[in-house]
Amino acid sequence: MAQPLVKKDDDRDDEADYSPFLGIEKGAVLQEARVFNDPQLDPRRCSQVITKLLYLLNQGETFTKVEATEVFFAVTKLFQSKDIGLRRMVYVMIKELSPSADEVIIVTSSLMKDMTSKTDMYRANAIRVLCRITDGTLLTQIERYLKQAIVDKNPVVASAALVSGIHLLQTNPEIVKRWSNEVQEAVQSRAALVQFHALALLHQIRQNDRLAVNKLVSSLTKGSVRSPLAQCLLIRYTSQVIRESANTQAGDRPFYDFLEGCLRHKAEMVIFEAARAITELNGVTSRELTPAITVLQLFLSSSKPVLRFAAVRTLNKVAMTHPMAVTNCNIDMESLISDQNRSIATLAITTLLKTGNESSVDRLMKQITNFMSDIADEFKIVVVEAIRSLCLKFPLKHRSLMNFLSNILREEGGFEYKKAIVDSIVILIRDIPEAKETGLLHLCEFIEDCEFTYLSTQILHFLGIEGPKTSDPNKYIRYIYNRVHLENATVRAAAVSTLAKFGAMVDTLKPRIFVLLRRCLFDNDDEVRDRATLYLNTLGGDGTVVQTSDDVKEFLFGSLDIPLVNLENSLKNYEPSEESFDINSVPREVKTKPLAEKKAPGKKPTGLGAPPAGPPSTVDAYEKLLSSIPEFANFGKLFKSSAPAELTEAETEYAVNVVKHIFDGHVVFQYNCTNTIPEQLLENVTVIVDASEAEEFAEVASKPLRSLPYDSPGQTFVAFEKPEGIPAVGKFSNMLRFIVKEVDPSTGEAEDDGVEDEYQLEELEVVAADYMLKVGVSNFRNAWESMGADCERVDEYGLGPRESLAEAVNAVIDLLGMQPCEGTEVVPNNSRSHTCLLSGVYIGNIKVLVRLQFGLDGPKDVAMKLAVRSEDEAVSDAIHEIVASG
Amino acid sequence: MILAVLFANSEGNILVERFNGVPTEERLHWRSFLVKLGAENLKGVKNEELLVASHKSVYIVYTVLGDVSVYVVGKDEYDELALAEVIFVITSAVKDVCGKLPTERLFLDKYGRICLTLDEIIWQGYLENTDKDRIRRLVRLKPPTEF
Repeated sequence: MAQPLVKKDDDRDDEADYSPFLGIEKGAVLQEARVFNDPQLDPRRCSQVITKLLYLLNQGETFTKVEATEVFFAVTKLFQSKDIGLRRMVYVMIKELSPSADEVIIVTSSLMKDMTSKTDMYRANAIRVLCRITDGTLLTQIERYLKQAIVDKNPVVASAALVSGIHLLQTNPEIVKRWSNEVQEAVQSRAALVQFHALALLHQIRQNDRLAVNKLVSSLTKGSVRSPLAQCLLIRYTSQVIRESANTQAGDRPFYDFLEGCLRHKAEMVIFEAARAITELNGVTSRELTPAITVLQLFLSSSKPVLRFAAVRTLNKVAMTHPMAVTNCNIDMESLISDQNRSIATLAITTLLKTGNESSVDRLMKQITNFMSDIADEFKIVVVEAIRSLCLKFPLKHRSLMNFLSNILREEGGFEYKKAIVDSIVILIRDIPEAKETGLLHLCEFIEDCEFTYLSTQILHFLGIEGPKTSDPNKYIRYIYNRVHLENATVRAAAVSTLAKFGAMVDTLKPRIFVLLRRCLFDNDDEVRDRATLYLNTLGGDGTVVQTSDDVKEFLFGSLDIPLVNLENSLKNYEPSEESFDINSVPREVKTKPLAEKKAPGKKPTGLGAPPAGPPSTVDAYEKLLSSIPEFANFGKLFKSSAPAELTEAETEYAVNVVKHIFDGHVVFQYNCTNTIPEQLLENVTVIVDASEAEEFAEVASKPLRSLPYDSPGQTFVAFEKPEGIPAVGKFSNMLRFIVKEVDPSTGEAEDDGVEDEYQLEELEVVAADYMLKVGVSNFRNAWESMGADCERVDEYGLGPRESLAEAVNAVIDLLGMQPCEGTEVVPNNSRSHTCLLSGVYIGNIKVLVRLQFGLDGPKDVAMKLAVRSEDEAVSDAIHEIVASG
Repeated sequence: MILAVLFANSEGNILVERFNGVPTEERLHWRSFLVKLGAENLKGVKNEELLVASHKSVYIVYTVLGDVSVYVVGKDEYDELALAEVIFVITSAVKDVCGKLPTERLFLDKYGRICLTLDEIIWQGYLENTDKDRIRRLVRLKPPTEF
């Protein structure tokens, strides 16, 4: 047998250890496959050739269409052999070759014969092969046999038919759905695996029928499920039922006892599944959580890495919503920091960072420092992000956390890692005023030795905005000007712009900046020289100390008030002609991301870099969007924009959410709409708002959306007038109205005629919290004392019976819409009293501080003392009124 | 869905790779990712001691069995614990086929039977059989004993 080529992977010198596939080559094996055509078949030889073919396929080798067809036809001849081992190989080979529809006919009759054979194992395998290669028409012919097979006495035959059903459900759902009676019977099978497969298939068949799933779960949770795998499925389906019934049933949570019972199952898989299901329950209480956390804690010290990983991964998630529930596990978690498995160690650290209290921060940072040096960048990024959140939670600790960030910034690392650190420092500078100056200096030091042009330019831009506002802007100039000497042209140009910003903002620095900018006129790069010239001319004067005019500041600092994407498109479409390009012709409407991209992960706060290209999310972007709409241009300054609230359920035809924009005398509802039906184009989309339950509001304007194609979100707006400066509240019901046009999916063209239609949306409410901005203070006591007691108002309230102290605290925080300070929103387990500190800015830009003291009065009754300090006593009274009427 | 099952020798050369629902263009990426993961972590690991990792929303459980390393990749219902079950079935069945912990040579000698074994364990991304004795009978086209 000729084997001319030697496969590199298997090239070994060692005689004793040589591979049976040494020198295997596709062409030669295909030649060998001719033995399948021999009149006297040699089963052993044929099996060997099939093994070689499988080896090639398993190495990622592919056959051309002609090769595959040839092998397939040859393999079908092997059905003549009665050799059992060979027959088993033939089944695998046909599945691997997945022949085309016209070739399938050749084997259909052989397989049908096997499927009705008396030998069970022929039946099972023939079912699997047929279902793999079949199409709809053939399936209707064999459906009768498959239904019989599902309830076959032999568990292997039943499982083969059931797993086939799971696959076929994707391609031929209407046929498989007809089998539900048989599948239902199989769920009761005594064979563990049959029950597992049947349960999976039955649930898939009925997944859209809520009642049927509920019934399935109710009956199975009472009986005994044999295999742990099936038990895990049942737990998953149960939590789905709990999720869906949460809104309709009052009192004890249904099925909780079943989940809790599973925590005592003998299989670890089931215990873990139940523990995770409990931790993921909506609004889970600490009483419900406790048993689940206890078993997860035991898993933390398991000798099996898989269990440790599973436990710490789940606890990490719990820590996001119930940090106090996880604190009991902190000691076990700390020992995992040195776990061999880096995934486990990273998860342990990030969990500890989420659950740690202010006093443990320093100790934790020490442990992490040792750990950081021996993990990969991707894990480091996770840790950096956790440290950022920790710092925002405990602003008083900014010094040690910022130091940590600056230390790791100096160490080796790739771009993504460095970017994560820089982004974190930027966010801390923005959110913690006290951290600003040290943070800026850390960034300055970083650009002295930064290998990433992108980061250097972004930091220089940021310095240009923040640097001039500091107490001593002077000290940053040296770092910036060094860049002009030492860096590439891109960074040099950015440095020139930053210098100009300092010159414009700090009049005393202007003469010296002029000197520096003049030096840049001799740079060897066009862009750098052009910028220097431009700034020298716009800043005006001859370099003496003069005040920079507002126009120049606007030119240097003002941002382009049109979306860059739109500008880019307009410029691309512009054809050079006599008529010059008119920037006013660029559309200002922000086109939001298509649906597919929106699903991509990325809810991280943005630090440096371009703002997200998607829908405007920050107040700035909203403000720009609203001011570009003439109807709303005279509403004045935007006070607050709420987070988007969904007005439709998930996976409906049209997805709509609303953002409430609060102005002094107006409220604008921005409805973000997405059309999820490819065959429809919506036009003239408006929301008809009924404000009969919002007496103080009067509709003044509505801006329809001209066109809403599939998968390309758009916005429509409705504006209301309300009494100026008054925090009016009310309920609004909404109806989406539009003209719907059919779209031909093949051409993408819409029909000319459309039909008017409506779609009911959920209600929305304007509440007191909408008039409050969440603005934190880093040192509450200082802020409280400096505010003084002049406008203080104190009163006591009974909150009645509550589920827990924590629940009461959260309810009051949500009611007021204020920022909890110093981590006081977290209530320790089993505590009977708690103090929570809140800070915010009320409409009219009035600073407000709130001190809430809670106590348990009797077993469940919660009493609260509310002390409010603000700059205006009317506002202090208003806060009390919100609580009294809430 | 069980996205991939992969066997490699001690030098990181692929012995078996089977993907389910993974686009062809991503397979190479997975192959090198897994081999790298093994090279970094499997040194000194005891036979059949399970290691675990996650990459985005995908879980990976892997281990050493004699001279070969085994990787299973899954998502959704096939999370780390379900995959631990899958890899346990795979390793015990492979040991059963080889009669002991496999050397690379032994693994390749039994290649055909191992392919059949895997075919019984995982079918297009779903776990089908879990018991090694039953699997041994099934690859010989014999009905399970309990039947």
